[in-house]
Amino acid sequence: MNRRSFLAAGATAAGGVTAGCGGLLQTRSVRTPPLVEDRPDAVYVPTHVEGMKMVDGSTAGRYRFGLSYSYPHRFWVVTGTNRKRIRIGENDSVHLMVTVRDTETGVALPTSNAGIEVRKGGETVVSKSMWPMLSQNMGMHFGDNVALDGDGTYEVGVTFGPVGARKTGDFQGAFAESRSITVPLEYSSDAVENIDFRTLDDRKGQRGAVEPMGEMATQLPPADQLPGRVIGETKSGDAAFVATVLDSTPAGVDGSGSYLAVSARTPYNRYPIPMMSLSGTIEREGETVFEGPLDATLDPDLRYHYGAVVDGIESGDALELSVGAPPQVARHEGYETAFFEFSPATLTV
Amino acid sequence: MTRHGGKRGLSRRAFVKSAVAIGGSAALAACLDREGSPDLDRGSDPSSLPDRQHAWNGALETDDHGNHVPPRHRLMLYLDYGRDGSPTAGDRETVERALASLDRAYARGGEGLLWTVSYSRAYFDRFDESLPGSVGLPEPTALAPFEDPDLDTPDAVVHLASNYGSVVLAAEQALFGERETLNGVAVDATLEGVFEQSDRRTGFIGPGLPAENQDVEGIPESEPVDEDAPLYMGFKSGFEKSQASEDRVTIREGPFAGGTTQHISKIRLHLQQWYEQDSRYHRVATMFCPAHAEENRVEGVGENLGDDNGMAATGCPAHAGEDARETGVVGHAQKAARAREDGSPVILRRDFDSTDDDAATVHFLSLQRSIGDFVATRSRMNGTDVADSAAVGQRTNNGILQYLTVERRGNYLLPPRDRRALPTPTG
Repeated sequence: MNRRSFLAAGATAAGGVTAGCGGLLQTRSVRTPPLVEDRPDAVYVPTHVEGMKMVDGSTAGRYRFGLSYSYPHRFWVVTGTNRKRIRIGENDSVHLMVTVRDTETGVALPTSNAGIEVRKGGETVVSKSMWPMLSQNMGMHFGDNVALDGDGTYEVGVTFGPVGARKTGDFQGAFAESRSITVPLEYSSDAVENIDFRTLDDRKGQRGAVEPMGEMATQLPPADQLPGRVIGETKSGDAAFVATVLDSTPAGVDGSGSYLAVSARTPYNRYPIPMMSLSGTIEREGETVFEGPLDATLDPDLRYHYGAVVDGIESGDALELSVGAPPQVARHEGYETAFFEFSPATLTV
Repeated sequence: MTRHGGKRGLSRRAFVKSAVAIGGSAALAACLDREGSPDLDRGSDPSSLPDRQHAWNGALETDDHGNHVPPRHRLMLYLDYGRDGSPTAGDRETVERALASLDRAYARGGEGLLWTVSYSRAYFDRFDESLPGSVGLPEPTALAPFEDPDLDTPDAVVHLASNYGSVVLAAEQALFGERETLNGVAVDATLEGVFEQSDRRTGFIGPGLPAENQDVEGIPESEPVDEDAPLYMGFKSGFEKSQASEDRVTIREGPFAGGTTQHISKIRLHLQQWYEQDSRYHRVATMFCPAHAEENRVEGVGENLGDDNGMAATGCPAHAGEDARETGVVGHAQKAARAREDGSPVILRRDFDSTDDDAATVHFLSLQRSIGDFVATRSRMNGTDVADSAAVGQRTNNGILQYLTVERRGNYLLPPRDRRALPTPTG
C-alpha cells in the first residue's frame, strides 16, 4: 500500500483520530467541508472562508509582488469548457498565492504568468508555473497547492511578466519585462493551523459571495466611476459587463475613432474576469456598424478590460456582447459553476 | 514498489542510463556488464561515409509506421579550444585523426554509433574573416518575452548517439585518451590537449527509458510516466510527417554546403500539474490540438497516429487563432506546424530527455538550414499572436509552455564531414 492509499483508507475508516498521521487526517477533514450538493450555475457562497498569511511585498521594476499562503484547498482548472476539480494532494502543505501590482499606480495586473521556485537548503522543492485563479476573498491571483518539505526556512523565487495584453495610456511600454524576486519563507505547520478558518453553514450554496479580504483583493471601480460615457451594464453567465465609450482612442490602440471598453467583472465583488474571448456587435437602425473582437487591454484608468475602436456610438444603438471561450482561469469554490454558459447580452444605448 | 525509505533500487535499464549520466570507467564497465558486451560491427574510413554529418536517417531503423527510430542513449560533450586565435594545422590534424577513430570503430547506426561535431558562433569569432552569408548562425538569444536563458558559447559540441550506453561512454573515453582501442580498432589520436571539456550533457529517448528514469525533480512521486512513453510528457514525437527532411535542413551553397545548423536548448520540465492536476483532455489538447482531444484521436502515447500527428489532415494549424478565441486552448503541435513551408516542416528534431542535474530535462536539439528557421518555428510555438487578445494565456492553455522553462540556448554550425576538424569561416 502506498502512502496515498493508506491515507485514503485511513480517511474512510477512521472516525476516531490517533496520534501521528491521524492529526493530519483530522486537519484535512475539518478544513475541507464537503461541497454543497446543489450548487447554482452562478456565483455562490462557498462552504467556508479562509484567511491568509502574508510573506512578502517586495518589488522588482514596476512590479510589486504580494506573496501569501493559506490552507491547501480544492480548486478547479479550466480547459476550454471543461473543468476539472483538483483535490488536495497527499503532501500539500499550503496554497501559495502571488498577486502583482504596478508600483506607480497600484493597479493590479491580473494577467501574464507567475512562476515559482521554492528551495530549501539549496534543493529545489517546488518549481512550477502558477495557475491564474479567481477566488472570492482574493480576486485574481496566481496560485497552486504546493508540497513543502516540512517545517523550516525556505527561499521562494517568484518570476512575473511580461504582460502580453495590450497596454494603453501611461501603461504603454510598461510591464514589458520578466522580473523576479527571491524572499525567505518561514514555514511551520502550526502557523498554518493558526490561519483563520470559518465555515459558512448558514449561507453556503446560496447565490452571493464572501467579502473581499482587505487590500490584497483587487476590485474594479464601480460602474459609475469608470471613465468615459458609461452606456450600461448587462449580465451573462453571471458575469457583469459594464460598457463605456471614450470619445477618442487611447494611446496604444491602433486606429482612431471612439473607443468601446467593456469591463467584465464578477458580481458582488467587482473582480476583473480576464482570459475570455469577448466580441461585440453594434446595430444601428437595422445595420451592423461594428462587428469584431474586443481585445484584452490594460489601462491605468479603465484597468483590465476588453476594448475596440468603433465608429461612434449613438443613442438607440444596440450593443450585443458575446463570449467565445469562457474565462480560462482556475476557480476557487464559489466560482467554479459560474462564467461558463454565456448567452449573448444586449445593451441599448 | 513503495516509495518509503528513499529512492527506488536501480533497475537493470535504469542503471544503464544512470551510467551514461555518471560517466567514467566504472560506469562503462557496469554498462558493458548489463548490456552483455554487444558484438558490434566495425566502421569504415571516413572517406567512404556520407558528406553530410547529419545524414543519420539512412542509418537508422524505421518503425512499423516508417518513423525513424532515434538512438536511445545520448551524450553531448561541450568543448573549448585551448588556443586563442586561428587553430594550428597540427591541431586540425590531431582533431581529424581523433574523430576518424570513431568512424572506424563503429558502423553507423543505432546498433553502432552516430555522432556529429559542431562549432559555435563564438568559435568562428576568433577569425578575422566572417562566416559567409550562406551560413545563418547568429549568437544565441532569448526567443520568448518570458524566458531568460543562459547562452552557451562553447567552441564545439560533440553529440554521440547509440542504442548502447556502453558505446557512447567508450567513444567519450576514446576521444579523451582513456583507451587505446575502441571496438577493437586502434585509437589514432585524442582531443586531449586540444580541447577542454566545459560541460557534459546526457540523455535518452525511447519507450521505457523515461518511465525508468522518472525519479527526478519535476516529475511527481506517483511515477506517472507511461511505460510505453518515449518521452517524459507521455507522448510520441518526431512523427515522420512532422520532421523536415535532411535535404530541407542542408546548407546548399558556399564552403559549408552539405552542412547544417544546430540549435540546442536545455529545457527544464515541471510535470506535477501535467500529471496530477490536468486531465487527459487537457494533455491531448495542449500537446496536439483541441480537435484531437474532442475527437479522441490520440490513444495512449500516440502510436495510433502512425507517421503523422494529423496536423495537415485536420487543418488544426490554420484554425489556431479561431481555437484560441472559441475554444480557449491551442496545441503545441498545432502552433508549431504553422511554421511549415508549403506544408513541409523546416526543422528536424533530434531531441531527447535527460536526468541531468537530477531534474526532468529536455535537450532540444534541432537541425535546420539556417538558425532563422528555428527562430521562426519557436516564434510560432510561443503563440504570442494567439494569446494576446483572447482567452489563451501567455502560458496557460497555450500549448505546453506552462510546463517548460528554457534554461540555456546555443547555436552551432555542423560542417560537412570534410570540414569538421577546426574549420575556418571559409571552410
